[in-house]
Parts: sequence; C-alpha cells; structure tokens
Amino acid sequence: MKPFKEDVLEDLRNTCLTITFELKKHFRRKRMILSFTLAVALPLIFYIAPRLWGSFPDSADQFASINLSFVEFLIVISGSLFAGDAISGEFEEKTGLLLFSTPQRHTTIFVGKYIGALIPTFAVVSIYYLTTSFEIIGIYGMDAITIDFFKSYFVALIYTSSAVSLIFLFSSILKKKITTTLLGFFSLIMIFPIISTVLEFVIEVEPWYIMTYPVGLITDVFAAVPLFGAGPGGQVMSSPDFYEGIAVMATYTLVLFFAGVLISAKRRME
Amino acid sequence: MTDSDYMIKTQNLVKKFGKNIVAVDDVSFEIGRGEVVGYLGPNGAGKTTTIKILTNLLKPTSGRACINGWDVNNEPKEALNDVGSLIGVPGVYDYLTPDEFLTYFGKVHKMPKQKIKRRITEVLDMVKLSKWRHSKIGSFSTGMERRLAIGKAIFHEPNILILDEPVLGLDPEGIKEIRELIKSFQEKDITVFLSSHLLDEVSKVCDSVIFLYDGKIIEQSSVEKIDEIMKEYRLIDIEFLNPLPRSGLEKLNGIEMIDKVQKVSENKVKIIKSDGDPTLTSMILDEIIDRGFKVVSYSPKRSDLEDFYVSLIEKKEGDAR
Repeated sequence: MKPFKEDVLEDLRNTCLTITFELKKHFRRKRMILSFTLAVALPLIFYIAPRLWGSFPDSADQFASINLSFVEFLIVISGSLFAGDAISGEFEEKTGLLLFSTPQRHTTIFVGKYIGALIPTFAVVSIYYLTTSFEIIGIYGMDAITIDFFKSYFVALIYTSSAVSLIFLFSSILKKKITTTLLGFFSLIMIFPIISTVLEFVIEVEPWYIMTYPVGLITDVFAAVPLFGAGPGGQVMSSPDFYEGIAVMATYTLVLFFAGVLISAKRRME
Repeated sequence: MTDSDYMIKTQNLVKKFGKNIVAVDDVSFEIGRGEVVGYLGPNGAGKTTTIKILTNLLKPTSGRACINGWDVNNEPKEALNDVGSLIGVPGVYDYLTPDEFLTYFGKVHKMPKQKIKRRITEVLDMVKLSKWRHSKIGSFSTGMERRLAIGKAIFHEPNILILDEPVLGLDPEGIKEIRELIKSFQEKDITVFLSSHLLDEVSKVCDSVIFLYDGKIIEQSSVEKIDEIMKEYRLIDIEFLNPLPRSGLEKLNGIEMIDKVQKVSENKVKIIKSDGDPTLTSMILDEIIDRGFKVVSYSPKRSDLEDFYVSLIEKKEGDAR
C-alpha cells in the first residue's frame, strides 16, 4: 500500500490531469470561444446602444444593475455547455470505456470534470464583470466602482457554482448529454423561477430555499432600480437577505456537488 | 500459490443485473505470467461483463477479481497500472489528435515526457497511423479508430493486456496485423487475456482457452490439448449424386458407427462420429454404398476449435433441454 500522503498527491495529480483535459475539450469544441464572445458582446450592447440612440443612466449603480441583469442568463448557458456532458457524455459516447479503465480512482476523474466545468464558467462571469467595469470606469470614472460591484460579482460566482453543481448532478444521473443540457438550462431559467413565483405570490411564502431565488442579489445589491409590482395582487417582489442568499447557494453548491460525485462513482459502464 | 503469483485471477465471480439476470455465475480462473488465454462464448455468455469487472468498469455482485495480486475494484490504481485494455467498441475523443490522445493516456500512466514522445512515434507506426499523427480523430474511419484504441492499450508497455474482441471492425489485413502483434507479445512474456468470436484467430494466438456459456465456465483447456482431441478425423463431408429424401437421412442415421447426421444441403450431409479411427471411416463408406447411396465425394476432415466449441455448446443446450 502507498503511504497516505503519496496516495493523496497522486489523486490530486490525476484530478489536475482531468481538469486540463476538460479545458482542452471545451476549447476545441469552440464552447469557450462562444461563451467568451457572449461575455464581451452582451455588456457591450448596454454601452453601445445608449451611446448611439439615447443616454446613459444617471448613476453607475443603475448602469451596473441594468447591465448585470443578463449575467444570470449567461451563467446558465455557460454552465449547461460546460457541465452538461461532463459525465453523461462519457457514457453516451462510450469514451468512458477508455477513461474509466485507467489506473485512477473514478472520484478523482469526476472531481476534475466538475472543476473543469467550473473554471470556464467562472471565466465567463469574470469577463462579463471586467467588461462592465471598464464601461463604468469609462462613463462614470474610477470612483464609480463600489463595494457593491464586488458583492454582485461574488454573488454571481456563488450562483455559478450552484448552477454548475446542479447541471453536474443531472449529468451524473442522465444518459444523454442533450437531455442533461436542456434539463439544466430549463430548470434554472424556467422551472425554479416558476416554483419561486408560485410560492411567493400564490402560496405567499418567501421561497428562500429555492436555488434561483437569491440570484436576484446580483442586481439587488445596488438597490438602484426601483422595485416594481408583480403577481396577482400586484405585490412587491421581495429580495432575499444577502447573507442568507449566499448561504443557500453555497449549501446547494456543496450538496449537489457531493451528490453528483457519489452518484457518478456508483454509476458503471453496463 | 497466492493471488500475486497469478497475473490475473478471478474467484467465484458473480455479476447480477437486477434480480433475475445472472451475467457471470461463479467464474474462477487463473492466468500466469506470459500466458495468452482466449475467452470464448456466444453472445450474452458473460465475456464482456467479466472483462469489465477486470478493468473496474463494473463491480461484481460477489467474488473477487485480482490483477497482480491487487483487488481491481478496491485498489484500481495499483491493479490497473500495468494493464492495457480494449473493451468493446469504445468512443474516441474526436476533438483530439492521436498525438494528444496518447499523450493524455501516457500521463495517466505516469510516463515521463521523453518516453511519451518516443512511444507515440513507435505505437503510431505499429498501428499504421503515423501519417495522421496531428489530424483530428473525428475524421478517422472505424478501422482507424480501432487501431488507435489498440495503440492506446499497448502505449505504456503494459505487462498485462485485456482485449475484448480486438479485431472487431478490422479488415483482413488489419486482423492479420493484430494477430502478429499478439504473437509478438507472447515472445515478450506479456500476459494476454482476450475474448473473441473469431475462433480461428484464437486458436492461432492463444496458449489456452476458457469457454463460457450462460455465465458459467464450461471448459478450460490448453489449445494443444484441444488440438489433440480434435485432430482425429471425426467429421466426414459427403456429397451424393441425388437429393437426399427424409428416408435417406433416416437410413444414414441407422448406421451404428455414426453418431449424428447433419443435412447441409439437398445432396450434402455432414457426419459426426465419436471415434477418429481411419478403419471406421472406411467401414462407414462401405456401409453407405452397400445401402444403395450414390456417393460423389467423401471427405473425412479434422475438427478445429470451432467444431469443438460448437460441440460443447450443443452438448450444453442438450443438457439444458
């Protein structure tokens, strides 16, 4: 038997190998370029459109709030693209017959695949924020970048982790990568938000435990855009508490990630 | 002998799918260093399932599978480090080039950079893919993908090779090349465990064979020993001048020295007899002519591994009925 330390280092090395392998895959399949292009193009629209046809909002917070309202959409697209086929692809395309018969613990491969999906999604979010920050500096000056901007960035990253964890879990359960990708996409864009709305406006309970509920914090931290009436009675949409929201998303990240790894490890090439 | 004295060892291996399907049923065998062993059986016999357990793609329901003394399912890193495998028809990473594909698997096997470089050249040469070293695998034909998968199996110079239908999808020339490759492993003292439905291939490269039927081992023997059993002239192909009516078949079956008559076509039959004695072969011909049959050709022949295999399966199916 190998000494414990040596064994762990070898597992870490294998995980890093998988991460590199996954990043190469995303790069070669042009997903990386597509997502990075979107991450630059989307915030540019909010810069170019007012410059050409209108005027910029009065405050930097308002500009950031409007601009960053699309980052959630981009997170879901990128997460679905990068994590959708992480596990299910190996089973569907039977490449797992080559990969899983190598001298590696299967869990190290799965952890590597998860991180391999998380890194490019983080990169996409970071590019989006970087582009937005350049725009804010260009329009409102250096001082316009406040702590709220970084809080929003932090929320976006935590939401990214929970979204990737969810899609990774789907990937570890489902057989087809297209089903995984679509289920991940629609869960985050439609299913969870609908459940959230029903709970909030029909049953009238705060849906703080729904994964997508705290995502509003990405723009809510600026408190720059007035809340508007919604729902059957015209109720005002509530915003989750910042720390509670972070805790909920972090919990989802960890629980879904571990569930995904455990289910993948149980899954076999039958 | 202990587990580590054998390169591959299975002990009462059982694999069930659901409650009712028993794919592998109490399979135990041992393979020593440098042995080339064929694993034979009809579709659904449990060959691939056994191989998947041996390569940690499946966990057994009970029993143990060991390689180099390591339990494959509990200690995969140690057990599979010296194993090269090719299982079923794997997919390939179509966005990589053979160079990148082999580099990745070389790194997984902890090969030093220089060795990876050297082996890429050697292996791609061996599997005749040197020309496509930097082309995307996505543009490859099935045969080329297969050759690359074989290249991956031998890339890190393993001492144990586990191959599941290695010549599947290859053209006759490719089959011949793989046969030569396996023969060269024998000379290098590499242990090879291969499943195949091409019995002729198995008989040409293997030292011994394990026959599997319905998840169970029904025979385990050296190819030499099987050859010894089968070398006697136990089969006779007969062609008659006229089509053979049912009564004619019954007449032939009535000859005491004959075990079984199989109709091949309207005027051709195959006779199976349990004794390979040439005198008996001659007496059968006399008896056939005496019974009024007009014989065009009468050719006694040696049985091969395929006949042995078919007789085993028929016997097993007969027992089951």
